[in-house]
Amino acid sequence: MKKVSWIVATVFLVTLTISGTASAKPIAGLLFPISGPFSAMGTDMKQGTEIAIEEINAKGGVLGKKVEVMIGDDELKAPVALRKYKEMVDGEGIKVIGGTLSGGISVAVNEYACKNKVLYMAYCWTSMPLGKEFCGYGFVSGMIPYQGGVATARYAFKNLGKSWMIVTQDYRFGHDQLAAWMVTSEKMGGKFLGNIYSPMGTVDYSAHIPRIVATNPEILVFNVYGQSMDAFIKQIGEAGLHKGKMKFITPKSHLTTIKGVGAVYNENFYGAHSFYWTLQDKFPKAKAFVEAYGKKYGVPPSQDSEGGYTGTRALLEAMNVAKTTTDVDKLIKTLKGFKMDYNKGPEEFRACDHMRTTSMVIVRGIGAKQSGWNYGEVVAELPSTETLESCENNRKDVPYGNVKLPGK
Amino acid sequence: MELTWNLIVTQILFGLALGAVYILMACGLTIIFGLLDVVNFAHGTFYMLGAFAAFVTISLFGNFWLGLAFSVIIVGLIGWITESYLIKPLYGKDPLYPLMLTFGFSVAVTDLMRAVFGTIGKIIPLPKIFAGSLMWEGIFIPRYRVFIIFLTLAVLIFLWYFLKKTNLGMIIRAATRDSLMVRTLGIDVPRIWTFGFALGVGLAGLAGGVNSTIVPALPDMGVEMTIECFVVVVIGGLGSLGGAILGGLIIGQVISFVSLLASDWSNVAIFLTMLCILLVRTRGLFGEAGRL
Repeated sequence: MKKVSWIVATVFLVTLTISGTASAKPIAGLLFPISGPFSAMGTDMKQGTEIAIEEINAKGGVLGKKVEVMIGDDELKAPVALRKYKEMVDGEGIKVIGGTLSGGISVAVNEYACKNKVLYMAYCWTSMPLGKEFCGYGFVSGMIPYQGGVATARYAFKNLGKSWMIVTQDYRFGHDQLAAWMVTSEKMGGKFLGNIYSPMGTVDYSAHIPRIVATNPEILVFNVYGQSMDAFIKQIGEAGLHKGKMKFITPKSHLTTIKGVGAVYNENFYGAHSFYWTLQDKFPKAKAFVEAYGKKYGVPPSQDSEGGYTGTRALLEAMNVAKTTTDVDKLIKTLKGFKMDYNKGPEEFRACDHMRTTSMVIVRGIGAKQSGWNYGEVVAELPSTETLESCENNRKDVPYGNVKLPGK
Repeated sequence: MELTWNLIVTQILFGLALGAVYILMACGLTIIFGLLDVVNFAHGTFYMLGAFAAFVTISLFGNFWLGLAFSVIIVGLIGWITESYLIKPLYGKDPLYPLMLTFGFSVAVTDLMRAVFGTIGKIIPLPKIFAGSLMWEGIFIPRYRVFIIFLTLAVLIFLWYFLKKTNLGMIIRAATRDSLMVRTLGIDVPRIWTFGFALGVGLAGLAGGVNSTIVPALPDMGVEMTIECFVVVVIGGLGSLGGAILGGLIIGQVISFVSLLASDWSNVAIFLTMLCILLVRTRGLFGEAGRL
């Protein structure tokens, strides 16, 4: 009996040891809003991340080991995100965190990363590089929010008209877009006719439509996101406004929305994307990403998918270059000025503010002609030189940080 | 912004359409409370189920009218089952029990719907017959909103006729006043309660079905609607159908005009309205429990 007990105990201990060494330690912790009003975009980001991980693993992983990362749901809530990142850092010894879709959450996470000397790659559109938010531990594989506003405003005032009105989701991202439009409008002779603030989570815009019709702008900017955008477009279509002369444009569009609202998203609708899948015709290196994503998920990658892909791939490649997964200072040094050529030609993370230098495309709707993956056509591509301010301006948060927003 | 008369009239019409959905919800809640003395915290969940019932039906059969019909039938059936097996055992106990049960039901069903349908909103295309708006002298209203107003009117007429002119309606009204006496007369009161509950949540399902072409169908969409519906019912007075109708009309106009004049206050405005009314009339406008 004693002999049997020894054998059992030995087998048990060996099993424990093997299982302990067999499961690799995660080298990064990533969070996305898989639930909540922006879950579609969060899911895209997660899926882009997974494609990048598969690619890196196919090439040998990081430092010769298969990549293991912790992926979780931040529920689009800052306290949840901070708690989960803290668990990853304190509990698993992770030194590299990434993800998040919400710019507001990314700023809070960036502050946490700075205080705890952890490298943070924000995959979203975020104000992290601006003013006092910048601290050196954060990088951005997305955009600064004002870039979407600037790109769409510049395109709109050149091509669609001068008089404009905006419906603004009443949170930081919405305010940033509004500021970008107001500054660009002043520079390009736009005529601002008014702003409507819409609380987060609004899904019925019908009460605003009479005012929009009465004001009759040439351009209506729908600065509302997630399910609010779906609802807004639906209700514009319900009122028949999409068939008139008014043009509709959004600083950040989404493929799920365009597909979901269908024929309403016609040639009068425009949206900014930091990536659109037909760019693979211009940038052949994007073909592999688009194909792999499409094969795995059955849909083309969105800009959030691409942001997740680029952020993850850059992090993992930087780990290989720096030959470390935990030395944050070495990783930061490697990522500063890190050059990439993934899906949109040569890009880099600017050394001065850790911003990705990437272009913005304007995609116009095609209405009932939608079929398969064909949701829209790219009508313009604006390089980062036309949308991204200098490091000095970003450090001072000018000009967009100084705008007096209407009613605020 | 200039407040022209046609803008004001348009805003009133939009407010009517908004209010119509709240009226459907509030009438359903009032019937349940008036008949069963149950505060149905899951009322918004039934609204959500109605939206999804419409979505699934329209996705399968491509017919909007069938979707609308099934939003009532399916949710009514779910309500029938819920009342028969979950709520009925709690009658006679502390009123907190059915309240907590309906709350728990709403949380559980919302999570189940999230697991089944995901968290991305389901969009139902508007039927072609309702495309576009009616316009006259600068006043306009989308055709679909006109349909919502007339549908709600039809439902109210049906409810009035049913409750006032039919035997079953008479029994329901009697049961709200004195269920013991009605039972003594040999009428199966528990079955009346089940029917009343199914009718009440069926109205919520219809509201969900009606709204499913306007807003994306989401598992969480019932949460806010439950709160707003309670505001309407409290304003009108718990247990009063007339109050539910007036409450819905008031809230529709409040949301419409606050959105026009001070849009960032639109979420808060309905609560401020409720507060103002309750300060003047603590039971709401027509508040008297048990009156249908």
